[in-house]
Amino acid sequence: MKVLDVNGSSLSLALFTDVTNSRELLKSMQAGTLEPEVAFLNALLIPDAFPVLAAAHKTLVSKSRESLTTRTLHSELVYNYSGSKHITESLKRCGISENSTYVLVARFNASPDEMKAIEKLVGGKEIDLEELEARADKAQIQKHYKISGLELGISSLPDAITCRIAARDAL
Amino acid sequence: METKKDAQEGSLILLKQGAEARVFESSFVGRKSIVKERFSKKYRHPTLDSKITVKRLNAEARCMTKARRLGVSTPALYFVDSVLYTLTIEYVEGPSVKDVLLEFGLHGVVEEKMDDITRQIGNAIGKLHDGGLIHGDLTTSNMLIQNGTNKLVLIDFGLSFTSTLPEDKAVDLYVLERALLSMHSSCGNVMDKILAAYRKSSKQWSSTLNKLAQGTIYATCDKEVESAPWLGDCYTSLAHHPLHLAAGKVTSTHDIRSPVIAWVRLILNFVYVIL
Repeated sequence: MKVLDVNGSSLSLALFTDVTNSRELLKSMQAGTLEPEVAFLNALLIPDAFPVLAAAHKTLVSKSRESLTTRTLHSELVYNYSGSKHITESLKRCGISENSTYVLVARFNASPDEMKAIEKLVGGKEIDLEELEARADKAQIQKHYKISGLELGISSLPDAITCRIAARDAL
Repeated sequence: METKKDAQEGSLILLKQGAEARVFESSFVGRKSIVKERFSKKYRHPTLDSKITVKRLNAEARCMTKARRLGVSTPALYFVDSVLYTLTIEYVEGPSVKDVLLEFGLHGVVEEKMDDITRQIGNAIGKLHDGGLIHGDLTTSNMLIQNGTNKLVLIDFGLSFTSTLPEDKAVDLYVLERALLSMHSSCGNVMDKILAAYRKSSKQWSSTLNKLAQGTIYATCDKEVESAPWLGDCYTSLAHHPLHLAAGKVTSTHDIRSPVIAWVRLILNFVYVIL
């Protein structure tokens, strides 16, 4: 569990491995009965917390302007992280799926009680965020974000992802 | 608006103000960053103004990320705000190439460092041009040398566009040549070194440098004919050409351009083939 500051709001992140109940989590999330509301991100696509923070920043800005593209604040975070304009595809690839076992859970402005509830909600082992880099699926990231080897020669993987998250609406 | 932005971006410290934008230092979710704000022009119609500004903002973001995809180092893009017209990008620590070269001018050139910088510049421009990206404002102050890694980082893609025309690429190089001549003539012939690296890195160097050579000759022709249209015994090698001697009597520059250029092009083509 880590609480990070994103322009005035806080973003709580918790990384879980060996998650067993992703099917139920997905179902309750799609039904909108998830309590508290959180974002589940496919952690295989996350090599560092920074791109998540960039996506969170973008999410908060569109929230403050009431211009969210998706239905909730937390689904917007998943959509923004994907760097693509295709909502369904984004939520499928960057969100949780029925057989995910490695998940990053995020919530804006979570109270301590809510975070405890989240830890109970997810049936898995919580690990440190430092593990993100080693556990990320580099090949899958490169494919999803279309990052060439040429670009990685001059940029780190997290920076390349951040650029795509930021530039999406400019394209 | 102001207070909202302050809350969002943390403290903004003005670094520079240009004709189109202001550049601030700030922080972005824990990292030091640069915020480039394109301000609105009051003399334009508001609707048109916002359209133009957003278009340029997006174009800049696109070109920066395209350059990265081509393997040219630029600051990482953090956030594009099309409501406040700001770009938030990575803060690159290090001096500009302009500062480095001016330092060379004052205290003597460090050859090793100079070779490294010119090689990186030529290489970077070659990659951009082969990818069809024109920087548009290649001056030494738009190139940074990152502290620690000594890597060249190109900044300010505000005038960038995509094009595959040799003419556009040559203009890009010509801008750099003029900038080098006016700022750094005491450093020796920096441009030649850059062009040597450019030739190695760009696959389409030949047509681009042909165009560049043409442009340079245009400039010399203009100057000569303006100053002494009757000039018979000229001193440049170009002027020894019989066609030019004949044309020297013609006062209009436009009349003489085409035959001279045709000849020079022919000669240059031969030279390039031999090389």
